[in-house]
Amino acid sequence: MDTGESVRITLRSIRAHKLRSALTVVGVVIGIASVITFATFGASVEAEIVGDIETSNAGNIYVFGTPSGDDDFDRTLQPVFTEHDIQQLEGIAGVEAVLPRGIVQTQSVRHGNQTLARQQVTATRPASFTPGVLVEGRSFETDEEAVVVNERMAGSFSENLTAGERLTMTMPDGSERNVTVVGVVNGTRGEVPVSEFARQPRVYVPIDPFYESVVESPSAGVRQRAYPQVTLVVDPREIPETQSAIQTYLSGESDARSLSADDTELIARSGNDFVEEISDVIERITRFVTGIAVIALVVGAIGIANVMLVSVTERTREIGIMKAVGARNRDVMQVFLVEAALLGTIGSLLGVPLGLLVGYGATRYAEVTFSLAPLWMALAVGVGVLVGVVAGLYPAWRAARVDPIDALRHE
Amino acid sequence: MTEGEPLIAVQSVRVAVSESANTTVRVDGVSKQYDLGGTVTALDDVSLDLSAGSYTAVMGPSGSGKSTLLNLIGGLDTPSSGQVVVNGQDVSAASEAERADIRGTEVGFVFQTFNLMPRLSAVENVALPLVFDGWDRNRRRERAVSLLSEVGLGDRTDHVPSELSGGQRQRVAIARALSTDPALILADEPTGNVDTDTGAQILDLFDDLHAAGNTFLLVTHERHVAERAERIVHVEDGHIQSIEDVSGGEH
Repeated sequence: MDTGESVRITLRSIRAHKLRSALTVVGVVIGIASVITFATFGASVEAEIVGDIETSNAGNIYVFGTPSGDDDFDRTLQPVFTEHDIQQLEGIAGVEAVLPRGIVQTQSVRHGNQTLARQQVTATRPASFTPGVLVEGRSFETDEEAVVVNERMAGSFSENLTAGERLTMTMPDGSERNVTVVGVVNGTRGEVPVSEFARQPRVYVPIDPFYESVVESPSAGVRQRAYPQVTLVVDPREIPETQSAIQTYLSGESDARSLSADDTELIARSGNDFVEEISDVIERITRFVTGIAVIALVVGAIGIANVMLVSVTERTREIGIMKAVGARNRDVMQVFLVEAALLGTIGSLLGVPLGLLVGYGATRYAEVTFSLAPLWMALAVGVGVLVGVVAGLYPAWRAARVDPIDALRHE
Repeated sequence: MTEGEPLIAVQSVRVAVSESANTTVRVDGVSKQYDLGGTVTALDDVSLDLSAGSYTAVMGPSGSGKSTLLNLIGGLDTPSSGQVVVNGQDVSAASEAERADIRGTEVGFVFQTFNLMPRLSAVENVALPLVFDGWDRNRRRERAVSLLSEVGLGDRTDHVPSELSGGQRQRVAIARALSTDPALILADEPTGNVDTDTGAQILDLFDDLHAAGNTFLLVTHERHVAERAERIVHVEDGHIQSIEDVSGGEH
């Protein structure tokens, strides 16, 4: 039997039961739409976060200390890098900049007559501020009594801070230091990749003259400044080679190694490693949520199976007629399978745009850029048709097995 | 449906089994038992031949087995024992798919209740056997339209059954029965659901088609309907009781 004819018979049958068929299709639409919505939203969030990191941080290498042989991510240990380490790292081929960071304790930060308590003040090098991150003003210089603030910090005062204004920092011993705000930034070079909304208000100061934590360097034998955090900016074309050279130094003769407990492992991670890890996590979450949405699709499939069983019972006499005029079992099966597949196909064709629309709404609501997940869309349509066919298999098989004599007697 | 020998052995009525080439249907020693809580014998060792171009009526009270005989010849059912050969094909030994093909191409059914597809137009109903026989759409339509004009419904081709009268529906069914140019037309109480005048017109149409060379087997319980045939086979309790020749008194 040619497919055209079975489609024609099917369309007549669907038209004869418009409401019933429409409700069945709605079930599939909801299932496909939820799968598409979650898949699209997940893909959008992933693209957004990964895109953020990739554009700004591909050439960054971050150094961590973790307990060795432990996969537990959140148990990072604070290593200590000496000036000697910084110099050695600067000497590695491919390293463009070494950006150490330290924390300077303050009691409060005052602007005009408004005081904010317990602000994080980060000591770093002028190289942390490239033209790309500066919103206004300039970077501070070494030895300058000046600070750079980020936009969150600038907005923390009732009157926004701008370049050229004065800040007063109260140090732990009660002394006060007056500084000039020379620049406002929307990030720093070599910062740990975080999204815009995770950013904290920060004040940056030059290492000289603000940062004073020191430790005796085992290799140099003298007391030197020591930093808990170091980021390296490397030539993006030589990330793997540079990364492994850095790793070799850290695990070998570095002060950070000598000053860490034996069970601490020092690890150099590139921005790409982060991208992969974050993508992996988001993908896993997306898959899980989409998996839940698949339940809706299964319910849709049960709807098709249910309606097809009713249809087979109602059309028993028609099955008898078809068989009497020469229909083989597989012809009968085809008629009912085509009907089920058609319901599934219509459902997925309507479900895909609906899912995209809802997914688009969700990305707008979450303020991430909308990205398509074409693979999931193709999969959803395929699954929709498949759902129809699978749901129609048993009813169609029942139809094919109908005894023509009984069927012709059926009222 | 149990296989095996008939449980009740009764005398067999043999009707001149000619092995001539123009035998359209040969029913040879056919029995049919149904297992409905106990074994019910619907047909018991029945033999019957239909020659090409013949017109035979089967008469008998309800439950006599006449419909079972029709279903066996038409390939809707299989005998418990014995052989049914239609146009050279052994229906009793055919697979399910082969029987479907025999029903589609060798046999045309006309039913008491018309049995048209309710959502298909007249022309689509007539063309339905051709769909399963693998004809392409244009040829199907051409053939169906010409058959509908032949039965006097050339102006009703696109009407669905509910828009047609009982007599018109039965004409559509007859056109459908003719569509694959079958060796045999099986009619089961074809006038049972129409008024007397319409019934007479349908029987006239049968006469015309018979005159054109078609072979008919008609099941009825009405004497005047049966008398339109050349001979009447009387069936009772699963046996052929007698065969009566009604074609102008010649034996």
